[in-house]
Amino acid sequence: MPTQRLFERIDSIELQRVSKKYGSRYAVESLELTIEGGELLILIGPSGSGKTTTLRMINRMTEPDSGNILINGQDIMQLDPVRLRRNIGYVIQNIGLFPHMTIGENVGLVPKLEGWDEKRTNGRVRHLLDFVSLPPEQFIKRYPRQLSGGQQQRVGLARALAMDPPLLLMDEPFGALDPILRKQLQKEFLEIKKEIGRTIVFITHDIEEALRLGDRIAIMDNGRLVQVGAPEDLIFDPVNDLVSDIVDSERKFKHMDMLNVKDLMTPLDAKYILDGGMNACEAVEIMKDRDIDIGIVFENGMLAGKVEMINLLKCEDERPFLRDITKPMKVFALRDSVATALSEMKMSREHMAMVMNADTVCGILVSDEVLLKLI
Amino acid sequence: MASTALILHATWEHIVLVYSTLLASILIAIPLAIASLYNRQLASVVIYFANLVQAVPSFAVIAIVVPFLGIGFIPALIAIMLRALLPIIKNTYIGLTNVDPALIDYANGIGLSEWQIQRYIRFPNAYPAMFAGIRFSAILANSIAVLTAFIGSGGLGGIIFQGLIGYNAEKLLLGAIPAIFLAMLIDYSFALLEKKLTPAYMKE
Amino acid sequence: MKEYFHEILILWNNHMLTMRTIEHLKMFSIALIISVIIGVGVGVLIYSQPKMASPVLNFLNILETIPDLALLVILLPLLRLGTGPTIAASVIYSILPIARNTYTGLKGVDGKYIYVAEAIGLSPRDILLNVRIPMSLPLIAGGIRIALVFTMGVVTLGGLVAAGGLGTVLQNGIQLYEKDAILLAGLWTGILAVILDLGAGWIEKELYKRYDTWHPQR
Repeated sequence: MPTQRLFERIDSIELQRVSKKYGSRYAVESLELTIEGGELLILIGPSGSGKTTTLRMINRMTEPDSGNILINGQDIMQLDPVRLRRNIGYVIQNIGLFPHMTIGENVGLVPKLEGWDEKRTNGRVRHLLDFVSLPPEQFIKRYPRQLSGGQQQRVGLARALAMDPPLLLMDEPFGALDPILRKQLQKEFLEIKKEIGRTIVFITHDIEEALRLGDRIAIMDNGRLVQVGAPEDLIFDPVNDLVSDIVDSERKFKHMDMLNVKDLMTPLDAKYILDGGMNACEAVEIMKDRDIDIGIVFENGMLAGKVEMINLLKCEDERPFLRDITKPMKVFALRDSVATALSEMKMSREHMAMVMNADTVCGILVSDEVLLKLI
Repeated sequence: MASTALILHATWEHIVLVYSTLLASILIAIPLAIASLYNRQLASVVIYFANLVQAVPSFAVIAIVVPFLGIGFIPALIAIMLRALLPIIKNTYIGLTNVDPALIDYANGIGLSEWQIQRYIRFPNAYPAMFAGIRFSAILANSIAVLTAFIGSGGLGGIIFQGLIGYNAEKLLLGAIPAIFLAMLIDYSFALLEKKLTPAYMKE
Repeated sequence: MKEYFHEILILWNNHMLTMRTIEHLKMFSIALIISVIIGVGVGVLIYSQPKMASPVLNFLNILETIPDLALLVILLPLLRLGTGPTIAASVIYSILPIARNTYTGLKGVDGKYIYVAEAIGLSPRDILLNVRIPMSLPLIAGGIRIALVFTMGVVTLGGLVAAGGLGTVLQNGIQLYEKDAILLAGLWTGILAVILDLGAGWIEKELYKRYDTWHPQR
């Protein structure tokens, strides 16, 4: 029987003082965590830290002993577990494709149980297999044992997306793969993530994976939440040794003091450059053409500041000149220390800064890219 | 009562037939299983044959024996044995081969002779499987022994066949019920024996 | 050689072996189909009521020790002579292997598949129908194969209680001491049973292969 959709999109998932005990030991203790709609939240921590229990409580595979879990403000204990789970995609490490079903049957199982007709199910399955880069003609009739580990993992993802769930729970989905394949799948997953734009809670024990994929990272230990924040928060402001151990700041980032902005900047692509004399309406057209969301404004060869697409759209009708609406940008010199530059950017909540040598533009510094280059 | 004497006599004939077949089967099956251990070809033939014959209906086995051996006690015994041998051979063979090869290696290493390996390692390991085979064969022999009355072996089946001629329901039950009772008795006694014979380290 | 085949053909026709074989297979099929329905049903039942599993299996085990002819004969007062008691006795023997294998199969499905099935939102009923039963098929097939052998054995006995089939030819042959007829019917019955068993074995093996879990059972 078809189940009604519980939520079209996720606004928030709130875990309020959630505890779960196994015997006398707390698997999760008084966990307070809010997951924002649309973000990819990483759960990381030593084994036995409560990550998997936390994940499993979100789709009621495990039920908390105390505390509440709210999705869009609704207590999940009030919802039918089967219905809840059909609205949440789930991917695990050992994949668990059913060996007696073909790839097509595996991906189409829940749609079939939802009462979709064969044609609709088949169309959905083909679309999803395409989406995870498995040509349907080639794969739809095969059995799981005829696929490599990486291919099976893709099918696992396709199955999780079958009902187009707004929330995806992933428990070390790439954990069993060899490092090269893992990198490859992570790269593809980032692309997929951009396209589907849904809320994802993702467990890993690999900090590189966490920094690469996560919008925010929650570090757990002994059933408790130790720290949660954006990657750079954890790197620059670890609350304790465990966090710095996990993000490896001592070892990986200690040489950051010796690095200059010059070493990690990105050359400025000409497409980002806009002239201060053009009006907002013209700028929007140009930026659409060039497929950019942010522009660097110059006037008479001098840096004037930056403009962002969202702000331009707001004032498009008044057609102001760019030179009048630019926002100032931080500017660093080639020899400035990267560590100082990043912490200054973080203070002013900026992701991008200019790098100049006297009056010449040399490049830009993007905080996310810097971190990725460091790991 | 004449019928009591009749039943007792038939039961006695039945028991003699079942146990002599079982004894003969054990005496043939176990050496054959050991021989299979040393000859892979023999082993595969024996196991294959065992699996095939298990599928043949008992009545067909009994029938096939008649043109060659005629009727009576001995043909009946041989017909039952054709079926009862196989579970014992198969289980003994499986029990003997299912020994951790490292253990045999070790035994060779400390200088145990072939006979000693059989005596102290392979056989103790094979007991439970062997016993299960013998128990199964005993039930099977009891079952087929009812049927062999049709080729003149006597026993409880004899009363049943008398009952079938002219359909005498009382005679049917007088033959069938003791045979059923005997089957349960055999099963139960073997279960007890198994408990007693199982070495302490194999019990839970 | 040609003469020899000719003689066999005459013998075959004299004893109406084609008709007897059809009778035999008809009884066999009916008995096996009923056994599968009841056996799988009992297997699913004791799986869903685990408390019943042990007593039910023990009881069926006791039935299994009863000599087949004795079982057939005590059904006669209830069901009269003919195919009725033959099919009933076959079914009584065949429930155990099918029910036991079904039960073992349903219980033995790897927990990781059940976990995933729950996690993607399958209800207990969905899991039984879409995961547990299909994944137990190789084992259930193994049980049906054992039942097939039992059924063949009991159906052959049917000749003794006027049920027709190949047992009738064996019975007449032995009573009239017609050696050639006994041999032909005996071998033919044996070959038929072996062929059916091999066929079932092949199906069983294919099912295991399909699930990539082929390990010889017997």
